[in-house]
Amino acid sequence: MHSSGEGKKQTRNVPIKTFVSDSVAIPMSMHIGAPSKPCVQKGDKVKRGQVIGEAVGPLGLPIHSSISGEVVSVEERLLFGGAPVVTVTINNDFTDEWVEGIQGHGNVETIDPSLIVPIIRDAGICGMGGATFPTHVKLTIPEGKTCDTIIINGAECETYLTSDYRLMLEKPKRVVDGLRAAMRAINVHRGIIAIEDNKMEAVQAMREAARGRDGVEVCVLRTKYPQGGEKQLIKALTGREVPSGKLPLDVHTIVINAATAAAIADAVIDGLPLTERITTVTGAVNKPSNLQVRIGTMFEDIISACEGYSEEPGKIIAGGGMTGPCTYDDTMPVTKGGGGIVVLSMKDAKCAPESPCIRCARCVEVCPMGLDPFKIKNFCLVGDIKGAKDHYVMDCIMCGSCSYVCPARRQLTAAFKEVKTAIMQEARRQKQ
Amino acid sequence: MLDKSTAKGVFINGILNENPTFRLVLGTCPTLAVTTSAMNGIGMGIAATFVLVGSNAVISLLRNFIPDKVRIPAFIVIICAFVTMIQLLMQAFVPSLYESLGMFIPLIVVNCIILARAEAFASKNTVFLSAVDGVGMGLGFTLAITIMGCIRELFGNGTIFGFNVFGQGYDPMLIMILAPGGFIVFGLMLGIVNALTNRKQKSGKEDAV
Amino acid sequence: MKLYISTPPHIRTNKDTKRIMLDVIIALLPTTLAGIYFFGYRAAIVLAVACVTAVLAEFIWQKLAHQPVRTGDLSALVTGLILGLNLPPTAPWWLACIGSIIAIILVKQLFGGIGHNFMNPAMAARGVLIVSWPALMTAYTLPSVFPALDAVTSATILSDAQVAANYTYMDMFLGNIPGSIGEVSKAAILLGLLYMLIRGVVSWRIPVVFMGVFAALSAIFTGDALSACLTGGVLFGAVFMATDYTTSPMSRLGQFIYAAGCGLMVALIRNFGAYPEGVTFAILLMNIVTPLLDKYIKPRIYGTKGAKKNA
Repeated sequence: MHSSGEGKKQTRNVPIKTFVSDSVAIPMSMHIGAPSKPCVQKGDKVKRGQVIGEAVGPLGLPIHSSISGEVVSVEERLLFGGAPVVTVTINNDFTDEWVEGIQGHGNVETIDPSLIVPIIRDAGICGMGGATFPTHVKLTIPEGKTCDTIIINGAECETYLTSDYRLMLEKPKRVVDGLRAAMRAINVHRGIIAIEDNKMEAVQAMREAARGRDGVEVCVLRTKYPQGGEKQLIKALTGREVPSGKLPLDVHTIVINAATAAAIADAVIDGLPLTERITTVTGAVNKPSNLQVRIGTMFEDIISACEGYSEEPGKIIAGGGMTGPCTYDDTMPVTKGGGGIVVLSMKDAKCAPESPCIRCARCVEVCPMGLDPFKIKNFCLVGDIKGAKDHYVMDCIMCGSCSYVCPARRQLTAAFKEVKTAIMQEARRQKQ
Repeated sequence: MLDKSTAKGVFINGILNENPTFRLVLGTCPTLAVTTSAMNGIGMGIAATFVLVGSNAVISLLRNFIPDKVRIPAFIVIICAFVTMIQLLMQAFVPSLYESLGMFIPLIVVNCIILARAEAFASKNTVFLSAVDGVGMGLGFTLAITIMGCIRELFGNGTIFGFNVFGQGYDPMLIMILAPGGFIVFGLMLGIVNALTNRKQKSGKEDAV
Repeated sequence: MKLYISTPPHIRTNKDTKRIMLDVIIALLPTTLAGIYFFGYRAAIVLAVACVTAVLAEFIWQKLAHQPVRTGDLSALVTGLILGLNLPPTAPWWLACIGSIIAIILVKQLFGGIGHNFMNPAMAARGVLIVSWPALMTAYTLPSVFPALDAVTSATILSDAQVAANYTYMDMFLGNIPGSIGEVSKAAILLGLLYMLIRGVVSWRIPVVFMGVFAALSAIFTGDALSACLTGGVLFGAVFMATDYTTSPMSRLGQFIYAAGCGLMVALIRNFGAYPEGVTFAILLMNIVTPLLDKYIKPRIYGTKGAKKNA
């Protein structure tokens, strides 16, 4: 399998810079769970940090304005993949004034632990590695389950992306504070910060920051995609395997992304809601960068901030090259889970046509879950959903490794996604 | 489609549409084992045809007397009688062919073409039609295994019916007259016949439209 | 702005089928050159005929069958080359020709083309040839560089202990012995294996287990494992034929069983069978077992450790 260092050279050594655009378009659905309900109208003046979308349902999260300015529209816009989502567009007045009532607690070691989870919820924090699962739900341990370890995922095994790496290098203390806050919130005494061995500078920085902090250790992992997959990470660090169809909490573990941990620290220490994130802009752009941008900043604005496309873009990926969805144009906003914007040139974007499987067994070798991708693909081809299910297609983590290595260019991951969707729809229908 | 209730229809059916070897894939044991030469093929085919016609006729004649529960043993006994006859006849008149076919003559008893026709056709149809079916099926079988015998003999020995075709310089491809050659030729023939039939059906459908 | 849309992953390895086949050809080059060096222009002609026929046969078949022409993936060239290397240098041109046609049409294309053949095409073709023309297929000559004994027909070392006594281990290792074009030079074969291992074309499992089991059994049966390994086509078979992707198992355990089975069968056929060399039939036999191994060996799936079987 390829090392996950692929495509990172361009931005690895580029320090984080801040970029604020003229306007932002904040979608009301940036997390798993019901979309938030917009609570502002066209013409309203909003301040930074003001709630513009209210949480709905058990997995709901509030959404905050990421700039101060005037709401110019509340309407449906297409998000990645072409799904319409209610989006609040705000024009920036560049005063960057915070909403009233922002109040931090100063120190994560002294705050009352019972306050932490509500703070995280009110700050609208969800998994910023891409899964976008609401963090306060993750940190609410259901009855009968226990947790003894919190893992900070700094592996960043996804190709191209360097935003977590730069964050750990430049703000290591924030990450450790976030971890400590999470540990204190649920009374866990072991926290592991996991980093791949191709980011030794970050390891250094994190070790320094973690010195003297209670129960926090930094672990170095072999660089190997998908090392940062939740299940792979838990296996590598604790030797535990999350049983098929279960959650990390079933093996007493919680995994939190490094960027999420920093957001937790911001919320607890300074009382700031989640309004900005670091995103890597790379590929066919003139000035590849790691930018700290406001949630809702348009891709096209960000790309102009990176001095435009270096050649005709063929594909724009919201995230990394292995798992990120691609967008149909560049008028997409940065979301809470969007760690990167990767622009592929026309040449790189073209997909080679599928050719017959030569049974080279590379897919079997690379599958981190130990599945037989070639067999499942055959079931997919004949539409045998039950056969695919019997071969554990539901355990597929969609890492894309099999498609990546396939010399016959077969669309394996895509086929599995289709089948998984079909199986989930079927299950939902039967429940009703 | 051929009308299966007329003698002509039944006859043609046995040779083409339901050719026992290439379409029904029955009696593959003699098909693979004795087709090492064209002569063997034709000899085996004629012997089987004789048994088929005789047993079909007699079974059809007795179809209302044989109790259903013991029909298979009864069929076998009748088939055995004809096989014994042909065996003795061949031993007397064509001893060399008898020698080369060897074990496979008595094995006609369990040839599934014969039992299948007895069960599927003779026990449900009149004596005349059953006999015609026997002739059709028998000739279809003969034709098929003779073709296979020709092909295998040609490549495996350079001859057809003993006549040298390729001349002295030909270095025969021994595998063709060995067991694997039988399977290879049989598989290829099945494929060709299927392809031809499919094409015919397709063009037939287009005509109908 | 026109953008491509696809599901992830958006990046693919540059090692496609063609590149892998090219790597195999590069790995075969040392042994090809060694064969031509030892046996002269006749070997070159046999190899050329086998390669050209294989590619032409695939091209014509795909044209006639209205299939997309895939000769560009080089797999037919690999098949032709491997078949040619499996022929004795004295083989007439038509033998190579027929062998390639059998390999490509009968074994590969009739079963669905690349990836669908149930046997290694070159190996199956060699099997057909050796059964059909045993005399031609074992008419080995001494290497023409061997002084004073130019182009004398000789039995393979395997069938005659007397002949074997004439050669040193070094002769056997370098390839200065009678045999098929590609199988004589063990040094060149190992060089090819090294290249394939470095390029990640094959894993060590099949060649090493194959040779290991074979050497162990040979030591038991004959007492001389080294000369058993250095004679005949066993090393060539283990490195280039048994490792064929399509006809070897996908799972690791399956590959171990398959390779061990190959080694066992070669040792049995050599020592107790009617043929002096058993590599062809051993590998063909295990090729046929491969689908069963793939079907019945279940991978260990992450998250099923210690899980109770509630099926």
